[in-house]
Amino acid sequence: MSSTRFIWSGIAAALLGLLALPVAAQSFRVQCPNATALHPNRTTLVPASAANIAKYQALVGGSSNQAIKDTAYATVFPGKIKCQQLSGGDGFATMGDGSQMYLFAFGPLSGLSNIVHGLPGTVTNTEFNQSNVGTPNTTITDADGHSQPIGADGVLDAVKIGAPYSPDYSFNGAIGLVPDTSDAKVGSVTLLLDPTTDLPVAGSGYSANEQVVFTGGGGSGATGHITARGTGGSIGYTLSSDGATATAAIAIDNPGSGYTSPPTVSFGGGGSGAQPRAALVASNSLTGHVDERLVMDVGVLNGSFSAPTIAIDEDDELFLTLTNVGMVMRPDLFEQHTVHFHGYPNASSFYDGVPDASVAINIGGSFTYYYLAPEAGTYMWHCHISPPEHLQMGMVGQIYVRPRQDVATSLSLYQQDVADQADLSRKCSATDILCSVQLPPANTVARVPGQKYAFDDGDGSTAYDVEYPIQMHGFDPNFHFVGMTFNPESFADNKDKYFLLNGRTYPDTIHAGPMSTQGPDGVERFSQPLSTIINIPLGGKALLRFSDLNVTEMHTLASLGIRMHVIGNNARLLRDQDGNNTDYYTNSITLGGGESIDVILDASDVATYTANSKFYLYTPQLDHLSNDAENFGGMMTEVNILNCTPANFNANTKQCNP
Amino acid sequence: MRDMKSSFDWILRSAAVAAASLLACSVQAAAPGITGTGAAHVFDLTAAAGYTSQPDGASIYTWGYGCNTRPSSSEFVPAAVGGGFCTAGSMQLPGPTLVVHQGDTVTIRLHNNLPAAAGNTSILFPGFTMQAFASGNGVPGVLTQEVTHGSAVTYTFVADTAGTHSYYSGTQGDLQVEMGLYGALVVLPALNGGVPTGYAAYIAAARAAPTATAGLPDTCFALNGKRAGLLDDGDFRLAAAAYNHPETCYDREYLFQFSEMDSAIHRQAEAQANSAAGLGCIRQTGCLNVQTEPYHPEYFLINGRSMPDDMDSNYATQYPHQPYNGNPHMHPGEQMLIRVIGQGRMQHPFHEHANHVRILARDGNPLFTLPKNNLAGPLLFTTTTTPGMAFDGIFEYTGRNLNWDVYGHHKADANNAAVDPPCIADANGFNTGAAAVNQINYWEWCADHDKALEAHPFGNVGSGGPITLPDPNILANGPWYGGSPYLGFEATGRAVGGTPIPPSGTVANDPGSEAGFAYMWHSHNEREITTNNIFPGGMMMMLLVDPWNFSINEAN
Repeated sequence: MSSTRFIWSGIAAALLGLLALPVAAQSFRVQCPNATALHPNRTTLVPASAANIAKYQALVGGSSNQAIKDTAYATVFPGKIKCQQLSGGDGFATMGDGSQMYLFAFGPLSGLSNIVHGLPGTVTNTEFNQSNVGTPNTTITDADGHSQPIGADGVLDAVKIGAPYSPDYSFNGAIGLVPDTSDAKVGSVTLLLDPTTDLPVAGSGYSANEQVVFTGGGGSGATGHITARGTGGSIGYTLSSDGATATAAIAIDNPGSGYTSPPTVSFGGGGSGAQPRAALVASNSLTGHVDERLVMDVGVLNGSFSAPTIAIDEDDELFLTLTNVGMVMRPDLFEQHTVHFHGYPNASSFYDGVPDASVAINIGGSFTYYYLAPEAGTYMWHCHISPPEHLQMGMVGQIYVRPRQDVATSLSLYQQDVADQADLSRKCSATDILCSVQLPPANTVARVPGQKYAFDDGDGSTAYDVEYPIQMHGFDPNFHFVGMTFNPESFADNKDKYFLLNGRTYPDTIHAGPMSTQGPDGVERFSQPLSTIINIPLGGKALLRFSDLNVTEMHTLASLGIRMHVIGNNARLLRDQDGNNTDYYTNSITLGGGESIDVILDASDVATYTANSKFYLYTPQLDHLSNDAENFGGMMTEVNILNCTPANFNANTKQCNP
Repeated sequence: MRDMKSSFDWILRSAAVAAASLLACSVQAAAPGITGTGAAHVFDLTAAAGYTSQPDGASIYTWGYGCNTRPSSSEFVPAAVGGGFCTAGSMQLPGPTLVVHQGDTVTIRLHNNLPAAAGNTSILFPGFTMQAFASGNGVPGVLTQEVTHGSAVTYTFVADTAGTHSYYSGTQGDLQVEMGLYGALVVLPALNGGVPTGYAAYIAAARAAPTATAGLPDTCFALNGKRAGLLDDGDFRLAAAAYNHPETCYDREYLFQFSEMDSAIHRQAEAQANSAAGLGCIRQTGCLNVQTEPYHPEYFLINGRSMPDDMDSNYATQYPHQPYNGNPHMHPGEQMLIRVIGQGRMQHPFHEHANHVRILARDGNPLFTLPKNNLAGPLLFTTTTTPGMAFDGIFEYTGRNLNWDVYGHHKADANNAAVDPPCIADANGFNTGAAAVNQINYWEWCADHDKALEAHPFGNVGSGGPITLPDPNILANGPWYGGSPYLGFEATGRAVGGTPIPPSGTVANDPGSEAGFAYMWHSHNEREITTNNIFPGGMMMMLLVDPWNFSINEAN
């Protein structure tokens, strides 16, 4: 009785699902596959190329040792699938003088725990692909091992309005991701009833345990077999109590996936006459289907400044979803948004984010950008819709790529660099005028396990202990006021009055945690999550990844005390075609909008840079040391030498280990 | 089946359109200029007033250098561009691009036809040493010899430094340069039999790899005669190389001069120059009292034009005083020389979408390593121009390492060369080894050949890729969108079948005949990509990377 009802409700759900099938019906969605050709399933290797499967199998050599398999996998399929979801909308930020700035802004819609803790929001597919719903009033353990309570409405408490405003926020999954009711699988097989006798058409002559074949229906993978037969080799069945449904005695061995209509059912071997019908049920798998309500609950007014930081490693694939939630403060605007990955080498125009040359994402829509990680370096990203407006209004963020040299192998740094020359996709040929990581002079610099580098330098010259992305920007409060108040904007006379490092003016730059701003709906949100306080372990080296997206003027930043060692420029190692490093030391750097520079603050001289000493980064453009009318603030922050060695320093929390 | 047929019909139609476009297409760029007259390289120039136009409709009073007498048609280079003009006695913005060879003795005769109120004027050639001025040849000024109203002065110097250089007024620079008195001097290197010294050895070494018959940009093709693959493209270069160095060879070149304009200054100058006092002015220092500070430019110019005017052709008749454009096109794998000069008073961080630029030289001074003489200049995705500074850089685009086939080919067609031409990698991994140069996927990055982008098939484009493309109805398409993620009209035809998109208003990159990859090249001081406070405008242009079966014809 109850099982029959279950079947009926399953069928009803399947039918509802079928009604909702057209893809266009859903315009918010995320994409983060769990397997790609470059990063296939670890067990089945699907969907890797035959050539790569052969390479993998040659390395494994038939061994069942998991460590050997893991090494082989990492060799043939280096890197990971990384995903991130961003909102495009609006928000508010707080300046050092207490005034609030209206923003057009991107906000985090995945990796929120990382963002709250001052880290890049980019996560692996495992962390990204987590359902936002579950059994009401229970608790689940998420992919990071954190306990996530589920409310009475069946939605994770972490996916509620205002929930991310907590220093203990711990959910990194994609906001809005819920099981897909439209992605159907085979739930059961029924037999058609004869219209005159009302008896099931069960046929005859079928073999025991015969294979059941499902074809068509838009999906794939379903298999089954006969479990019981009736008289004369007919298909066994169970009739429902009202006699309306005959459920065939067929076990579904694999329900398959992706069906949009019931597949045709047939049988192997002999037998004929039965009229079986497949019934679909929703698979409820995570296909990228999102619940728009959850996206809007978290995404509206969650714009942050700087925009969510993106960090990937060489060999990663990045699936970056932009979800345009609209700007609730400007209901008169129908602004599209895009992501421009600024500096991406050999970019396709399709994923370049320039609306004139590609597509732009309307309100209510999502678009997933796909990037194979480019060469290591400090890049930046921003919206490319009406750049003088959207960049000034705050739609700017940071993105950097870490080198594969960070990943330990048995080879020395130089040997690895030499080995990479055999791989055309990594080769830096003498005739490639756009390659900067030329082979350095032969050296024996040892690989230090766990050591981080800014580039694939092959000589260890870009080693560092802790990295700080620092974005320079400027805000013209008049423009932001006009931007919020429906007035026509002028560009030629833009005059910035706030000068920002990671979206903050001094003294907010040295506030350690995320900064929040209350929205007009009374909800506090983290508006400026990224601190700019520079903590360096005693005797350590800090990599400062500077980028500048100011739209009005150039910026100079000086270091008082610790010299700046400039090792990279515009996401490229400073090295000439002969392999000589062209790095240099300075006490100040100057950047215009759209430029980046990599600087190492080298505090390894512990006699000079003693524990608990303090230094400063500040702009010698003295009028930029102000917060509008306040004359002490602006573009300035502190550099602290901590009282612990790099070995006892936590590069994530930027603090000494307790 | 019907859909398939109609899509093939559409492909055929688009192929016909494409064939027609090979004949008709005219994209018109390059770096045109004039060579001067005779062996003495005499340039007979004027400084005069005129009006320049802006896309907002403004007609702005401007001073500029121009030709005092019209050069003979053989003095316009490159010859293939054609249609060049330099109207006698008429100013232009920027001034005529002067093209000479390294070692030439150059003679510039400058006539001061500016309004009397402007007083004296002059030209500075930074980096070059003027020969002594004979008595009576102009009057001494602070920075150089000047010329009084209605008179002429002759400058003579040896062009001993190759590369891109600026020239501009050395008299009352805050006013005269703002008014438009600037231009470019291109000094072509002294080469060795038409190619840089050591080129043959360089090519041989680069091709020493066993399978490589090519595998590096086939520039400096003067060595081998005209490159077969250039179709009807023609040769639009001023020279084979920027410097006497094999790695400075190039396939295409463009000159961009950046400046800005505060129209209030121009209005004051116009009113005062045409006033009774101005017209009667006899002072060498002029009679203008124009406020040049505070400075509030609202026009941001590349080669004297704002976007979108800069993407119209060179010598377009609608811009009689702004002959030069900014409309770069190239094929994958070609090397593009960009010659850039900061002519105004502000810095402009110019962002080249799509790839880095290798800086070759600054103010004509090459950045080479010692003693091996290899490239040492930085790689930049944002090249900042600063006032008075010129640089040369090489840009290249290949589509390498995207992890998807930009030509939309897929494995099911791997054995059908008519639909899916094979990719045969050279020593560097590009499809130059065996492919015909006018092949759709010439210079393709072979490691990504037949790798699908899309998870689901669309048209004749395969599935199995990582990405599901969204419903096109939730997206907005730009006027330079080629209509699909793919490069070229052929691939776009296969991808979108009988439904050519985009349905946007202006199609500047026809999905049916071009469908190149378009990239915005623009000032990243984003307020400068506006024209008199209107976005878009100002310092912006679109670079188009076109497939090799699209002929890039830069002739007028």
